[in-house]
Amino acid sequence: MTIMTKYKYTMKPLFEERMHALMPDKTDFKAYEKTIHTPPLDFIRCNTLKISPEKLLEKLKTKGWQVSQLYPKHPEIMLITSNIGPGELGNALEHQLGYYYIQEVSSMLPVIALDPKPDDLVLDLCASPGSKTTQMAACMENKGTIIANDLKIDRISILVSNLERCGVTNCIVTRKDAIAFCTHYSKSSLPKLDKILLDVPCSGEGTLRSSPKTFLQWNPKMIKKLSRQQKKFFAFAVKCLKQGGTLVYSTCTHSPEENEEVVSFALENFPIKAETVHIPLKSRPGLTEWKNDKFHKEVSKACRIYPQDNDSEGFFVSKFTLLGEIK
Amino acid sequence: MKFLNSKQKRAILKGLEEVYGITELNYLLVEFGKKRLRAFSGNLTREEIQQLSQLTNIEVIGMYLISRKDNDLRLNFDAVSLLRNQITKSITEINKEQLALWIRGHDLDIATERGIVVLKFQDELVGIGKSNTEKIFNYVPKERKIKTPVPS
Repeated sequence: MTIMTKYKYTMKPLFEERMHALMPDKTDFKAYEKTIHTPPLDFIRCNTLKISPEKLLEKLKTKGWQVSQLYPKHPEIMLITSNIGPGELGNALEHQLGYYYIQEVSSMLPVIALDPKPDDLVLDLCASPGSKTTQMAACMENKGTIIANDLKIDRISILVSNLERCGVTNCIVTRKDAIAFCTHYSKSSLPKLDKILLDVPCSGEGTLRSSPKTFLQWNPKMIKKLSRQQKKFFAFAVKCLKQGGTLVYSTCTHSPEENEEVVSFALENFPIKAETVHIPLKSRPGLTEWKNDKFHKEVSKACRIYPQDNDSEGFFVSKFTLLGEIK
Repeated sequence: MKFLNSKQKRAILKGLEEVYGITELNYLLVEFGKKRLRAFSGNLTREEIQQLSQLTNIEVIGMYLISRKDNDLRLNFDAVSLLRNQITKSITEINKEQLALWIRGHDLDIATERGIVVLKFQDELVGIGKSNTEKIFNYVPKERKIKTPVPS
């Protein structure tokens, strides 16, 4: 299979109609369409638990790789611009030694928004495969504690393998249904959490470049089902947060039902405040209406990341502070 | 899951000092299963971790550090990397060709002292093996071996 055929697929009519509604400008939509039909760029994140960006850069350049650091405030984010073979990133010694994590730049944004600090107690509720968990551990310098939860044992194996490779020592991996976990945690006498990363399972509309099969699996019923589940996740997770604590809700999809609708539901039902999200990529504000639905006006503080704006995957990131403890 | 007390931790550290030259382990050591020790640097107390384990299944805590086999304290592949600044003993240097074989899971025909061997390539510690004096047996975990053929 050539690269061209791998990325050649057609949008389902309803999907195309929805994307048109999200991007009414024809030029914008064309740019979107063009971008999602090209392979994603080769981004890596330097694992600062093991090596500094300067040293990694030196090692990669010695290998003959061309590397760009596009974001001055985030030297750990690196783009490999040279032509590398399939599997070369994953098979490099530096990868095996845990010096970097292969991670698309838009997937780094939720943790940048959450900004976990050393000594924080953090919950990563849907943690596997661990890209964001390892990123948080690096931000926290292996201090504080991360509770990384997931449901399925096979996904947990991948998570643990990535944590080991990256030298993460401040993490406790738990296996439980997300809602059951939050129910038990919020009723316990364990300390409430400083920060929660709620990077929920979603329809994955933003990952078409790396995973074109998502296109074939897309259907509107799934979106409705996921939206209901995501609201539940939010409602139960927020109960574990301490007053003044921060929760980041993110997805790798564009669907407003899974993004603004969930965020609007949360703003209307819990004592939370939407925060401005500071990320190093170009983003667009959250929608305040979609089809016949009007959302809470604070939803506009959320960030929509479109592939054509940054030559990246698509993402949605929103951030909240809990104003009063939820009993 | 069992937390090691300070006496047990001292005994482990003594063993690590003898074999590897490691003198400091600023971690809570947790025994998982009979032979595996894990290192936790988080700030939850033992009591809080116990409490958490009553609420949910704790799959792992911290990082897999050491396995105890045949009276050996064998550092895990990733623990070598974690503690690389402290490891001063049992080091054997290898060249580029030997590294290419090693990271793909091959044993190395290198004559060295019997026992645990830490492999070093240039300024990197690239894993751990065991020598029978004529050969170093490869302990690179299956999932970490490079899958491409050895370059000719």
